[in-house]
Formats: sequence, structure tokens, C-alpha cells
Amino acid sequence: MSRAYDAIVIGAGHNGLTTAARLAKAGRRVLVLERRDRVGGLAAAEEFHPGYRRPGVLFDSAMVRPSVVEALGLQSHGLRLRTVPPTVLALGNGEGEGEPLPIHGDEDRAAEAIGRVSRADADAYRTWRELLRRLAPGLRALFGREPIDLVDIESEHVWALGKRALAVRRMGKADLMELLRLPPMAVADVLRERFASPVLQAALALPALLGSFAGPRSPGTMLELLRRECLGGPGVTGGGPMLVEALHRAALAVGVEVRTDARVRRLRLGADGVSGVELADGEAIDGRLVAASCHPGHTLCELLPPGVIEHRFEHRVRTLRSRGSVAIVSLALSRAPRLGPEPVEFARTGACLDDLERAFDPIKYREMTQTPVLDLHVATVADPSLAPEGHAVLCATVLFVPHAREGGWDDASRDALGERVVQLLSRHDAEIGAAVVAKEVLTPVELEAKYGLHGGHPFHLEHALDQLMIRPTPECIRYATPIAGLWLCGSGSHPGGGLSCAPGELAAQAILAAR
Amino acid sequence: MTQGATKTSSSAPPGAAGSPISGVGQPRDRSYDVIVVGGGHNGLVCAAYLAKAGKKVLVLERRHVLGGAAVSEQVFPGFTFSVCSYVVSLFRPHIIRELGLVDHGFHVIPLDCSFLPLPDGRSLARFGDYARTRREIAQFSPRDAEVYPEFGLAMSKLARFSKHVIDHPPPEPTSLAPRELLQLLRLGRGYQALDRDVRYLNLKLLTMSAADFLDEWFESEVLKGPMSVSGIIGTMLGVRSPGTAYVLLHHYMGEIDGAFRAWGFSKGGTGAVSYAIAAAARGFGVEIVTEATVDHVRITSGRATGVVLESGNEITAKAVVSGCDPHRTYFGLIGEQHLEPELVGQLRRYKLRGSSGKVNLAVDRLPDFTCRPGPGPHLEGDIAIVPNVDYVERAYDEAKYGAFSSRPYLNVVIPSLVDPTVAPPGKHVISCFVQYAPYDLEGGPERWPRQREAFGDTVVDTLAEYCPGLKESILHRQVLTPWDLEHEFGLTEGNIFHGELSLEQLLFQRPMAGWARYRTPIRNMWMCSSGTHPGGGIMGAPGELAAKAMLKAGAA
Repeated sequence: MSRAYDAIVIGAGHNGLTTAARLAKAGRRVLVLERRDRVGGLAAAEEFHPGYRRPGVLFDSAMVRPSVVEALGLQSHGLRLRTVPPTVLALGNGEGEGEPLPIHGDEDRAAEAIGRVSRADADAYRTWRELLRRLAPGLRALFGREPIDLVDIESEHVWALGKRALAVRRMGKADLMELLRLPPMAVADVLRERFASPVLQAALALPALLGSFAGPRSPGTMLELLRRECLGGPGVTGGGPMLVEALHRAALAVGVEVRTDARVRRLRLGADGVSGVELADGEAIDGRLVAASCHPGHTLCELLPPGVIEHRFEHRVRTLRSRGSVAIVSLALSRAPRLGPEPVEFARTGACLDDLERAFDPIKYREMTQTPVLDLHVATVADPSLAPEGHAVLCATVLFVPHAREGGWDDASRDALGERVVQLLSRHDAEIGAAVVAKEVLTPVELEAKYGLHGGHPFHLEHALDQLMIRPTPECIRYATPIAGLWLCGSGSHPGGGLSCAPGELAAQAILAAR
Repeated sequence: MTQGATKTSSSAPPGAAGSPISGVGQPRDRSYDVIVVGGGHNGLVCAAYLAKAGKKVLVLERRHVLGGAAVSEQVFPGFTFSVCSYVVSLFRPHIIRELGLVDHGFHVIPLDCSFLPLPDGRSLARFGDYARTRREIAQFSPRDAEVYPEFGLAMSKLARFSKHVIDHPPPEPTSLAPRELLQLLRLGRGYQALDRDVRYLNLKLLTMSAADFLDEWFESEVLKGPMSVSGIIGTMLGVRSPGTAYVLLHHYMGEIDGAFRAWGFSKGGTGAVSYAIAAAARGFGVEIVTEATVDHVRITSGRATGVVLESGNEITAKAVVSGCDPHRTYFGLIGEQHLEPELVGQLRRYKLRGSSGKVNLAVDRLPDFTCRPGPGPHLEGDIAIVPNVDYVERAYDEAKYGAFSSRPYLNVVIPSLVDPTVAPPGKHVISCFVQYAPYDLEGGPERWPRQREAFGDTVVDTLAEYCPGLKESILHRQVLTPWDLEHEFGLTEGNIFHGELSLEQLLFQRPMAGWARYRTPIRNMWMCSSGTHPGGGIMGAPGELAAKAMLKAGAA
């Protein structure tokens, strides 16, 4: 038994660390408990074959919140922000439809490269980026700040709400109309309105599909794309591992205690709410409040004893959708992959929107597509230390892979998936098979087991319109739960999953404001 | 035995007192207060309201029959079909009252049963009687049987709120004008009056897919299949596409004489609804002329001054209102040369994408379902062929890439069972609504005429799997593909709702942001069709709201 902490944070992922550091910085005595043997959650680097490490399973660091970087002084803890977003190479499907198309982070370079494929698309791309810039203030008003409780709208401060509304109104009527029109739409419809090149359409659409159980023709995917493109920045050099290392150092610097191999078995309840936690080995730790960065379902239905939360609330939590739809395949390579004329850090497959849609179709029936789409990350480009000299690590996010696969997952089906990914890659780098030293395949089922992700979903809850507007449920939309002292601070809360640290920061702000 | 789509013959629907058509080809006068282009049900409602307010109104209909897509036709001697739309559900009760439609033959026979035959010999019939329905559902899931009434209650609460939305012009969220803010506030108050659970439900309904939404309530696929499909009718979306859940509400908004949840057949077919409105309109002094095709609207310095008929004749009016869909109205009647390029861009983005067809059968005996042999109340309502959610989603997947579904979702009705006037004694008419039949067939929509009979065969084969003797009982068959709906009925891309009812095409964005209040950028040119708020279905609401907007603006 130790003396009570002001706050216990469950989970040392990027959100948990952010909450902990923010609370400690405000003078709280904070303990972070991590189930695994390391900090960093989904972002931590891991050795998957002797001598080869891969980054975590989230490769896109564009969403990292500048306010977190600033408030925690992450740059003084080793974080390096990119100045320009990295180039993404649109590979097509490797069946001879032309050269891969680089989409550069620098807009002029991007337009120039696109112009070689289609003059009209070069102009369309500039117009598109311009539109995204103009829509950004509106998106920021909704997803860059604390959530708006649409269900209990009376509880919002009228003036604060009015100020945010005004920020949106200031965008001008035409842009406001676009802001109202676009989010419920399907990315396919919007991108077809604007672009002619199928490979460009496919490459631009892909980020909208990573966090949702949706194909490009699914309405609402446009909101996800707008969030990514309007709120995102250039990202972090070295991505997730660099981010969590900096967060970890920053948290320690402000006095946060971090314990790994400390699995929380249940929450302890006192007369007036949560009084601490009990670990798997029976150890009890007192805390005046608990902030949980795990899936809301785990926190509310598994860590709390049954019957504590009201029946209707429990039903809402249990029906939250977390259908994992990606697998992570990591390859240890004896040489750098040759995906394009130059070394490339990020690349995407898919020759047209229908390639993406057809990859999505089978998952609806709990089946595995034969032609998955790959979102590729050559991690050793930014951090060569991940592999031996001259070698490389290539990670593929594979869409769409069902968690609830008909017939289940076994070694054979998992190996087949890994083989298939290598086969698909060999359409772009014919000799890549010979360079494969080792493979690691994490299906949604393994992601669930390894990282404690419900349904194997890396964003905890699918990014669907309803689960982005009210996240996770009306009862705990503002991070506080109906159980006194219990808070949520993970990806299952507003504004959602991915390497943003936003739920962690906004939760910390809500906790500090409540005291 | 098999007939093409284009063979039609006119008939005044039984039950209508005399014909409300005042002329063929040529109107009596050369000048009117208002000309309504299109004698569909919305055009007729609009005309009736305008005439009731004292305007001199002319309705011009291209075809030889009135009703647009709400039309009854004796396609084969002795057999009258509701050729396109076939059930009445959302027709606004106050319009029935205000136009005195009952006196003109408006008569809806409630549809009491929804029947779902299954391929494995089981079946589910849902009735207006909850106790009976619960017993039926309990065969598949006792838990769902418990939840079913609770679901109905929650949806009805929400339907009451939504009714407010469809009975008023759409709000204008970008305006700061006091009147607009007041209307938003009024809507907000309605929202505030809802309890939190219902509000949450409302947000979910607007954004979720029908399948996901139902998954939260029910476990049985057998129940979820037929419930989910109401969310996709008339759209090129699947039951797993977000935004399809809210249409579930329509089922609970349907009202006949104030009773919630009821759907019904119009006596004499849906054309009888149109004829009742037309008769009422005529009573108010409207002149209705058929077989008068409007070539274009006369526009002089940005102002509509009348119409020019295909015959070359010109008729002037102080205002013109179009009952056609947005594409026909803007690109056909107005003409691109009168429009700003930006608006043209907006219009081109408007999604029509017809996704359904219709197969009408004349048969010499009732269909006999293997799972429930013989006649019975299960045949008197609507019969759905959708054994589970995946079935209809797979049907959608095929359509996405340009093929009609090899096993489509069917909604089948046999109106002759409850309304014997539509078929000779002992014989019956069967109407099959079919989805998916994508307008954009692979290779282009113009391939439809060559695919028509194959499509018809697919529909008959699908239904015959459940009632084996069907094929032998067919006397005549009429197949309407989206191509036919476009060419016969003037529905662009064969879209039965004049444009998809997707979130970004509703309310203040229907048909376009900035022009959602029945006005167009051409002065004195208005719209009153399903392409305006609150959208498609035999509702009459766009027609009524357009007329009221015109009168308020002092048009004509």
C-alpha cells in the first residue's frame, strides 16, 4: 500500500502520457500504470526480428497537436517536427498503368508532378488544398477543441458556443455551405467531382478509410478526410516512436511515475466514487481520480464491477462499434525497397477508387479480400537505426482485414495474408521476395491481444459520423463519467483516434477545470 | 405474353368522378397568372393551392395521363397498375383537408401486413396488431419480440418531431435575418422539447447506416433484413451505408387520417390520388391540359414570362413553376445559357443516380407461397424479398459496379386483393418494386433496353423461388428499367425521388444551397417537385410549400 496519488492514469500510450504529463505539470502527483513491458502503446517501437525494429502500428503523425508539443516542451525532449509533410507515392496496382505518382508535401512540387499526369488535375489539386485551408477554421472549431454536447445542448455555455459558431460563420457563406455539404458525403463522390486521374483519386481517398469501417463510396468518409487534411500538419520525424519517447521524457521531467508490467484488474470504489485501482497481482493503489486511456468498453464494462453503471448506459457502451479492419504486416528486408525512382518513406497502392471499394466489399460479410490495399511506410528512411546497416523495415497497413473473419484466424490464414502482401509488393519491386529476411503479421485479432484493442481497432472506436459527433456516448462525452472520479482520456473520446494526443490533452484540461 | 415497357393505354381511374382534364394539346387562353409545368401530384397540389388563393392557373402535362409517377394506367386490357409509385404513406393530412380531397375520391385502404417469405420455408408476417407481430417475431428471437414495441415507441416520438420539419420550408442556417433565426430557434425549441434519449436517437438516425442502427436494437437477421431496406429505397446506397438509417423513420411517419405508422393503397391505384387532387384543383378553377409538352420557359432579361410549347405556341404567365426534377427544370426548361457557371457546377454535382426498377405483372391466379400456402392476410400487405441484411448488401455491391442485382430486393404488392376494381374478376395485378437496377449500367445506360427482358426474368425468377407456380400464372408483364423511367416519365436517370435523399441533398441543400426555398435564380420561375424540400414520395408537401412560398412572395 502506498499513499494516495492525485491521479492514476491507466495506459502509457500517447494519450495516457499526455494526460499524465499535463496533470503533473499542473502540480498533481500522478502515477501511470501500463499493462505491457514498455511505454508507448500503439506508437512504441518494437523488435519483431532480431536486429529489426518496427515503429508502432500508427504511422501517420500528421495529427499531432501543436498545443501538446508546446505545452509539454516536447521539442526540448528530442521531438523533431517536420517542416514539410512527407511525400506519398501513389503506386497504382502495379499492373502497368503508368509511373507511380508522387504526391509531395510541398504544394507546388505536388501540382507539378500531378500536372505530368493531368494538367487539369494539377489545377484541381491547388484548388483542393486551398479549399481545405479555408475549411480548416470550421473543422478546428468542431474537432480542435473540447466537444460540443449536441444531446445536452442546454448545458453548453451560450457565449462560448456563440463564439465558436461565430468562428464558423466568419468563413463566408460559400465556404460555410461547403462545410455543411461535404462531411456527410462519400469521398468517392467528392474526389470524382474534382479530379480526373483515378490513381490520384485513390491515393487521396485512402486516409479517410483507415479509421472507419467504410469504403470510398460510404457516406461520411469525407468528414474523416477533412479532419485529416484540415487539422493535420507536417508531422513528426520518426513518427510514433519519437513522439512517445519525447512524451515519456517530458512526463518523467514533470514528476510522473510510470510503472510497466502493471495490469489493472479492476477499479476500486469508495463511498463517493473511484478510490483507486487493484492490479492483477492484487496490489491496491489509492488514487483520488482515475483517468483511463483504454477502450471505453474496457473501462466501463470490464474494470468496473457489474451493475455499477446504469443499464441503458451500459447498452450504449456495449453497442459502440469497434470492428477492426486493418492488419499490420512488417517486413525485415536485406535492402531498401525499390518502390519508385527515389527512396520513398510513404506509399499507397490502389489504381482507382473501385480498387479500394472492392477491397472493402468482402469485409462486410466477414471475409478477406484477395486484393487488399496497402498503406506503406518504410520506417528506416527516417530512422535507419531500426535495422542493421543497409537493411530496411517496411510496414504495411493492410486494408481490409476482418477481425471477425468467418471461420476465425489461424496460422495458415495469417501466413497466407503475409504471403499475399509480399506478392502484391512484388508487383512494384519485382525482387522484393528475395530480400525478405523476416515477416510479422498482426491481424486484427493479434492487435487486440497484443495491445488490448477491442475488436483490434487502432482508433478504439470506428471513426463514423455518429461516433465522431458523440464520442463515446452522451453520458461521458466530456471525459467525465457518471462514476465520480473516473475519467476517460483515450482514443475512444473526442476528437478520436490516431497520433494526435488530443483526447489526452482535452481530458487533462477537463479534469483540471473540474477541480 | 411478354410486353415491352412502352405499351401503355390511358384510362380514367375507376372511382374518379369524371375527368378533371380540361383539354388536350392546347390551353384555352394565351395568358395566365401561373403556369405549372408537369401534372404530377406535386404540380397538381401546387396548382390547387394557387387557384384556391384566386390565381388563374394552367397545368401543362406532357403525357396523356395525369399523375407523373403517381399514375394509374390500364397497361393491359382490364388490368390497372400503379405503374410507378404504388403505396401512399406520407401524404400530408392537412392537404387532404384543405383541398377537400376526400370529396374528390381520395381513399386510402390501409396496408395491414408486411410479409417476409424465407428461402428455408419459414416466414415472418408483421401486422398492425402488436401482439400478433410479437408472436411472429418470437419464433426467431424472443428478445427481439420484447424490444420491437419499444423500438416502435421511440421511433414514433421522433417521427412527431420530424413531421415539424417536413411540414415547413427548410431552415436557412447561413442567414442572419431575424425571420430565419426565429425559424431556427423554433426548430431548436422543438429539439429542446425532446428528451435526451430521443435526441441521441435522432443524431444516430441521421448519421448511421440502417444496418448498424438496427444492430443496436435487434439480433435476428430475419427481422433486420426487411426493416433495413426502407433506408435504401430510391438511393444508390446500401443498408450498410451511413446516412440510411433516418429513412427508417418514414415508416413511422406514414399516417392516414392521423394514425401513425399506416401505409396504404389508393383505391384505383396511386393515379387516383392524382386525379382526386386534379379534380379538386379543377374545382378551384385550374385548367389542366394534357399532351402539351413544354419545350422551354421563355426568359426575358432574367425573368420568366411564360412557356413555349413544343408545338411552337407561346403562353404567357406572371410566374412559372416546375414540377419536374432539378435537372429537367434547370437544364431543360430554363437552359444552361441563363445560368451562372458556378450554379451549373452545383447542379451537375446533384446526385440523381436511379437505382430501382419496376415489374408489373397481370396474373390469372394469386401467387402461392411455399412457406405460407394459400390465400390469407399475408398477401394483402407488402411482401418483401430480403431474407437478411447481407442479401441486400450483396445486391448493392453488384449494382455499384454497373450490373443489376442477380438477386434483387423486391417489394411486392397485390392491390387487386383489396381493391377489386383494378383487375378482372378472379385475376390479379402484382406490382414489384425492384432494387438494385443502377441507371449507370456498365457500358452505359443506353444498354438498358437490351437488358430489359433479362432484368424482368431475374425479377420473376427471384419471386418464383418463393412461389413456384408464379411463372405459369403470368398473363402479361411490364418491365420498367431506370432508362424507361427516364424516357417515359421524365425522371432524370430514373431517380424516383428526383434526386437522392442523402444528407447533403436535404433541407436547405435540396436541390442546391441557396436555392432551396422553391425559388430559382430566374425571377418568377419556381420549383415545386420532389427535388425540393422535403423530397420524394407521395407527400404533396413540396407542392403545398411551394405554392405557399409563391403566395407569400406575392408572385403572380
